[in-house]
Amino acid sequence: MGWLKALFRRNALERDIDREFRFHIDELTEQNIARGMSPGEAHRQAMLEFGGKEQLTQDLRDVHRPAFLDRAVLNLKAAIRFMRKSPSFSLVVIVTLALGIGANSAVFSAIDAILLRPLPFPDAHQLVLLEQLNPRNKSQDRFVAPVRLADWGRLNSTFQAITGYYTENISEISGPLPEKLTAAWVAPRFLEVWGVSPALGRDFSAEEHQFGGPNAILISDRFWHRRFDADPSAVGKSLLIGKHSFTITGVMPASFLFPDRDADLWSPVPVNAPYSLKRESAWYTVIGRLKARVTVAQARADLATIQDQLGKQYPQTDANVAVAVQLLKDSTVGSARQSLWLLFGSVTLLLLIACTNIAALLLARTSEREHEISVRISLGASRGSVVTQLLTEVFLLAQVGSVLGLGLAAGAAKLFRELARDLPRVDEIRLDPHTVTYTLVSAVLVTLLCGLLPAIRSTGQSLAGSLAHTSGRQVSSRNPTQWALVGVQVALAVTLLVGAGLLVRSFQELARVAPGFDVGRILTLRVSGTWAETADMKGLTQRIDRTLAALRAVPGVEGAATSANLPGVPSQFPTELTIPEGQEDTTRKVMADSRFVSAGYFQTMGIALLAGQPCVDNATSSGVVVNRSFARTYFNQSPAIGHHLVFGVGTAFPQAGEIRGIVADSREQGINANPMPTVYWCLSAPMPDPIFLIRTQTEPSAMAETLRREIHRLEPNRSVFRIMPLTEHLSDAFAENRLRTLLLSLFALTAVSLACIGIYGTLTYLVSVRHREVGLRLALGALRSQIVKRFLMQGVTVAVAGCAVGVLLAAGLGRLLGDMLYGVSSLDPATFVGVIVLVLAVAALASLAPAIRAARVNPMQVLRDE
Amino acid sequence: MPVDKSDLLQGTLDMLILKVVALGPIHGYGIAQRIRQVSKDVLQVQQGSLYPALHRLEKRGWLQADWGESDNGRQAKFYRLSARGRKQLAAEESNWQRLAQAVALILQAAE
Repeated sequence: MGWLKALFRRNALERDIDREFRFHIDELTEQNIARGMSPGEAHRQAMLEFGGKEQLTQDLRDVHRPAFLDRAVLNLKAAIRFMRKSPSFSLVVIVTLALGIGANSAVFSAIDAILLRPLPFPDAHQLVLLEQLNPRNKSQDRFVAPVRLADWGRLNSTFQAITGYYTENISEISGPLPEKLTAAWVAPRFLEVWGVSPALGRDFSAEEHQFGGPNAILISDRFWHRRFDADPSAVGKSLLIGKHSFTITGVMPASFLFPDRDADLWSPVPVNAPYSLKRESAWYTVIGRLKARVTVAQARADLATIQDQLGKQYPQTDANVAVAVQLLKDSTVGSARQSLWLLFGSVTLLLLIACTNIAALLLARTSEREHEISVRISLGASRGSVVTQLLTEVFLLAQVGSVLGLGLAAGAAKLFRELARDLPRVDEIRLDPHTVTYTLVSAVLVTLLCGLLPAIRSTGQSLAGSLAHTSGRQVSSRNPTQWALVGVQVALAVTLLVGAGLLVRSFQELARVAPGFDVGRILTLRVSGTWAETADMKGLTQRIDRTLAALRAVPGVEGAATSANLPGVPSQFPTELTIPEGQEDTTRKVMADSRFVSAGYFQTMGIALLAGQPCVDNATSSGVVVNRSFARTYFNQSPAIGHHLVFGVGTAFPQAGEIRGIVADSREQGINANPMPTVYWCLSAPMPDPIFLIRTQTEPSAMAETLRREIHRLEPNRSVFRIMPLTEHLSDAFAENRLRTLLLSLFALTAVSLACIGIYGTLTYLVSVRHREVGLRLALGALRSQIVKRFLMQGVTVAVAGCAVGVLLAAGLGRLLGDMLYGVSSLDPATFVGVIVLVLAVAALASLAPAIRAARVNPMQVLRDE
Repeated sequence: MPVDKSDLLQGTLDMLILKVVALGPIHGYGIAQRIRQVSKDVLQVQQGSLYPALHRLEKRGWLQADWGESDNGRQAKFYRLSARGRKQLAAEESNWQRLAQAVALILQAAE
């Protein structure tokens, strides 16, 4: 790092030079005075004699400048000259690299934002998600009772704080129209766990967490802007939610988007309310902040011990509870991880292809410059300095390419937000220093990858040899390295294309699948409600049924029903059931997906009733309907109808129901999943805001406004939200799928185009080099068709070899796609054959043009040139 | 008649400087004066050549420089010969001798 120090020492150096000169001038002046001049005249003469101080200083600077910099500047100048001299070549390289590096940086920016960067909270690595689960039946009823949360908070030794929350879609009715808001109801110490303070106002007081205490809320920055136009005097104002008025105690910072970006307000749940004290009533999603230097494993062990004690203390409710602990980030990122790494892998392959392509182009170019290089070496340039200069040329091109690529990556962040709204943390994708650094490092790596081989090869030849023959005299030039590079490109392109092909085929299969219910002409909507309404289940059910009846009466509506889940959007609620009458196979647990649907559901969704009767409009009857696979699996010998099912033993609300009907299997748990044993509990109001499913006679969105108005007439204090066709939900649910497929296809097609450019370029180069040979052959009687065939075969042979390697690679890597595939095996023959045919056809096309050009050589011309 | 700097053979100035410095620590002004006096005003080294040469020699490690006080009490940069500089000087001197003898032989033969 000597030169770096030298740079920092620059100022000291200038001072030294100045002092040295001043001494010299002073001495001259003194000498002049001794000769009898006046002091003024003496100084003037001295200055004159000393000469141009500025020029001299500059000369000395040059002496001291590190030689390394001199060379770098020279190399750079040469590189710019080189770029100017061959603009089309430079353009090809720059565009290729801009695409390669840009795509790579774009995917990296997503990986960085979603997977690598910590969640946007202070010390986010300490945040964990705590869930309770029943280890015996793997039930997914993971919510935690408030009292249990308090026990964990009091007894643990590994957490700084533990808190919980649940969300509700509520209506705020102080405005002219009820406004739907997403409210998070939070346990004590909520903000302490996040380590975030309100941007304005204050955190909740202890009093506000007491039953009967003042109603307080914190509002989101977004809501503050929307409702109050960011007026600071909003703090202290009140909002009207249901029958209660809530005072705004503060505004959260804009960066605080928890539980999700839709959250509008946070409000404390009273800790000592009567309904909060039962160990069975579980509703919290629990977040904890670990103490410094405590690992997840330690926390897990700590909570396991505590829950063990609680199990002994409350055997009824706590004996079968285990605690699951995972990093909050892991649970947030979820399945996106796999998709992103897949994309990153393929985009890196793409960059590799681009590099190989450029390396092949450079090889062709540097062999044209062989003469220039040998002359330079014979004039005394060291091999290292020539290599450095060739690398500088590539580096300059890579830098220009990477800057363009950065622009591409910046645009891609927007694309991600457009195409995959539901991708976790998608808002956080942006061009930041990480991505810029990554891009610049890629440029350096790319330079070495592309440039090193051609540079070393072109400088390694024997001097005398290359000086002796002028380039035209070569009769035949074999370029095994160049062809090998082209082969590698083809192989990598085939690999990518197979991956993309498999994903596309999966997507087609998915579209072809018969879901078992009628997806079209279904409008979905929700009506706000609060969990407090569940205290009066009868009233709640009546309200939902009333709404359903009103919707069914609207002209143009063919049917209406409610459901707790959207049919076809992946979600499961596996539960363990017991059959009081006894089961056929007693060794086997009865597991089924529980769904909660209202009367009219099967008719609305077009699911066929096979036996018995469907859910009927009668809140008191506790009927259940099962699907065919449930009946097949658990009642193979006897008729299922008439048996009873009990679910939720040991919870606050154990439910029992009699099997009244059997319906056909359908893919309600997700279009991409096979039908599974399912139990439909006939319950129109399993939650305060179930999903309304409305079958319309015409285009569903056209009915949206009519239905909204109808509900507003009936329920003026409630807001209607998420009005959209079911098809749109399904499309959103597979957005990640689609994005992945789309991007991979895009990369694969780019890869194939690059490989073709590689074949075309290499062959064109060969044809130009062998121009003379071809002319001679033609003069000696070779047929033009033979010439075409020779060159064509050369391109196709390389493509075949590349395909062979690519197929092997794809077969090996196909397993990585694993569960992203649907309905096709990772070795799907149709995909493989299709890819091979496509690649060979395109390769043949790419070879054809240069081959024909070769055959057009005029033998007379060649002989004359000789 | 003073000799132009272009008349000084490439590398000769370096040798002259090394030789002058070999006599003891001395500053740039002093070197210029000394060369002029010893050569009886034939060789007049311009500042424009002297200082780049000094700095180049220093950078190559043949000269070492320190700040010190001159005869009249001013701060000046004094150069002195390093061990490597001494070796270099010896090599250049013997080279010069050979060259001068060769040139002399040719001149004599031509007479």
